[in-house]
Amino acid sequence: MRGIVDGTAVEGKINSFARDWGLRLAVFVAAVGLWEFFLSRAQNFLLPTFPHIASALFHLVFLEPRFWEALYISNQALVLGYAGSVLVGIPLGLIAGRLRWMDRILNPYFGVLLVMPVAPLIPIVIIALGLGLVARVSIVVLFAVVFITINTRAGVRGVEPALIEMAKSFGASEGQIWRRIIVPGALPAIFAGLRIGLGRAITGMVMVELILVASGLGRLLLEFSGRMQSDLVFATVLAVIVEALTLLAAMQALERKIAPWAPDISIR
Amino acid sequence: MKPMMVSEAAIRTAAPKRVGLSRRLQRLVQHHALEVFALVFGAAIWEVLGWGLALQWLPPFSQVIKALVQFLASGVILANLQSSLSSLIIGFVLSLVFGLLVGAFMGRYRTVEKALDVYVHALFVCPSILFAPIFFAIFGLSDAARIAIIVVYSTFVIVMNTATAIRTVDPSLVEMAYSFGCRERQIFTRILLPASLPLVFAGIRLGVGRAVKGMINGEMLIAFVGLGALAEKYGAQFDAPKVFAIAMVVLIIGLVSDAIVQTLENHLTRWAD
Amino acid sequence: MIRVKGLCKEFATFDNGSGGVLALSDIDFEVRDNEFVTVIGPSGCGKTTLLRIIAGLIPYHQGEVSIDSRPVVGPGPERAVVFQSFALLPWADVLGNVTFGLDVRGEAKSESQARAKELIKLVGLEGFEKRLPKELSGGMQQRVGLARALAVNPRILLMDEPFGALDEQTRRLLQEQLLQLWERERKTVIFITHSMEEAVMLGDRVMLMTPRPGRVKEMIDVPLKRPRPRDVEKSPAFVEIKEYLWENLRAMQTAQP
Repeated sequence: MRGIVDGTAVEGKINSFARDWGLRLAVFVAAVGLWEFFLSRAQNFLLPTFPHIASALFHLVFLEPRFWEALYISNQALVLGYAGSVLVGIPLGLIAGRLRWMDRILNPYFGVLLVMPVAPLIPIVIIALGLGLVARVSIVVLFAVVFITINTRAGVRGVEPALIEMAKSFGASEGQIWRRIIVPGALPAIFAGLRIGLGRAITGMVMVELILVASGLGRLLLEFSGRMQSDLVFATVLAVIVEALTLLAAMQALERKIAPWAPDISIR
Repeated sequence: MKPMMVSEAAIRTAAPKRVGLSRRLQRLVQHHALEVFALVFGAAIWEVLGWGLALQWLPPFSQVIKALVQFLASGVILANLQSSLSSLIIGFVLSLVFGLLVGAFMGRYRTVEKALDVYVHALFVCPSILFAPIFFAIFGLSDAARIAIIVVYSTFVIVMNTATAIRTVDPSLVEMAYSFGCRERQIFTRILLPASLPLVFAGIRLGVGRAVKGMINGEMLIAFVGLGALAEKYGAQFDAPKVFAIAMVVLIIGLVSDAIVQTLENHLTRWAD
Repeated sequence: MIRVKGLCKEFATFDNGSGGVLALSDIDFEVRDNEFVTVIGPSGCGKTTLLRIIAGLIPYHQGEVSIDSRPVVGPGPERAVVFQSFALLPWADVLGNVTFGLDVRGEAKSESQARAKELIKLVGLEGFEKRLPKELSGGMQQRVGLARALAVNPRILLMDEPFGALDEQTRRLLQEQLLQLWERERKTVIFITHSMEEAVMLGDRVMLMTPRPGRVKEMIDVPLKRPRPRDVEKSPAFVEIKEYLWENLRAMQTAQP
């Protein structure tokens, strides 16, 4: 029982590491086994087996230049859109956090935008901006910006007023208060917002790709599924999942480097 | 004995009395006058811009409302709404069952936690929409695919909150129960279950929000029926007011489901501070 | 009668293969029936661990701990614990909390509620049956904890610094109340405290412990009258024992690194 700690179990550090990953490997193997089992039962010849997926993935990554081309095109929207969201979202969040009256005015909009589904608005964006890069970037921005803003604002609001008071008592100017108290204090929350915003931006990119299917990964996926090449469909999706997880992990590592004191507080 | 009671009774305040509903509403509006004004002002600006700029993609606010009312009155969207809602409910219930079970086991047994935490976390942070093409490949153009997407959207936040909820139950309560002779099963039902309710409900609330997002995102992609399909149809027809109206319908669904969960939560966790 | 003989308790530390911390070493003492023993010692002397072992909450592998010649292997109906942090169920009202021990044993609801109401009255919380713990002050919460322990009619009460989290005035009042209750029904009590006044005020004997590893230094008799008179703290005997305790504790504290 957790609550009754006796502590008579002693484990070496290496032992527990091996054991944990052994467990995780076992789960992975079990999952693959389950997949294979269902495939054999369902007798759906269109669905790929695990070895098929693996070889398709290999083919895609190492032998298919169009994959990297598509990835590049799709990620353009991601990079530009994410950068745009950050450039708009963080300043907006900072202002909303610091100026009470501004915050009260913007707050209801944040609340609405937080719950408002962006997906059904995609056709609107298409009507307005067509099917090109601008439309794709705009959609990514729409998906990501609100979360970055809200978390930034929460971070600024979360800075202990006592600390600001303390700084003022030592004669700090507004600029100094920002630099020395507010920004460092809000950093963990800002990073949380950046991380979630990244996930949202990737969602936006994928939604765009799959709805517009004009170029990039969406086009590739359409082609593969049109030709019943489900192993390549799976492989493509897996590749994008790996990209998403890698980017998010990188963000988390960056966060730990720049703001190591951060606990996990986030609004998703 | 008496002096003790009098002095101590003054120390802690009693629970607040139930205030009448209209009074509460009144107070709510008064408190948030600025916010309400800001929203109304925004709607007004939207109206003005809509008429003034005459852009195809920015209809005046009033036209959106008109389309919305038309929907509700004529029952045009009823079939689609029903389809969307039934997928939502089935998907959410599935994710609830799965999420609570897995979360409970992860919270209770360290081994299970260690085995699954990497995967749960990965699936939690990974944009869930990525699984849409996979489910499409497996289930084709069907309700099952959309339900599967909703499950993926919603389950993992429930798993994580439930696991944390059970794991962070006050150990002194567990010890106290043990001291009075509780065994494994009683500790689970009498202590772990009620104590974890607040956090579990937090997860359920988040899960509902995610489920609604999964519903609409999934429907936009696997669009043959439901609100998502309608949005795409009207989009193709360049009918902006109707598209906005659909977005509003989804928004309302999200707000209503959140309110339902919150009411339940308030009722069951009245004792928490 | 509670008998402890040659008890040793070691805690292994995590992430450290090289053995553990010896919390208790060679603990030897007896508590007679209906006796009120207070236990005092500096932090790290293992008094809480000792109490938990007697309560059956943590296991021990070396030595003998027995109640009426029967070894302690887990919690039992003849013992009840009062916790420093109160450990009340936040989702149950006062009545529900007091009946907890009885509910766990499957007692009939009507009877356990009747008994609980009696005890709630006894600890001075009549009228508060339907209140939630968060609506009560610390002193009131601990009185609920006390009522809960008494509800299961234990022969032995194990109290782990029960008044430690309370302010001094509340503590004094609860001490008085505890003594009144104890005079009515003289249970065997082991009471852990940090306070020398409390130790001498409440106990028939004071067990003085030393830290690292925890050992029993001395069992001190408290030959004060029962029931304790109003200003017993001013009596010379009281002061003498208290000073004696302080000298010892002080020496232990200054001997620490």
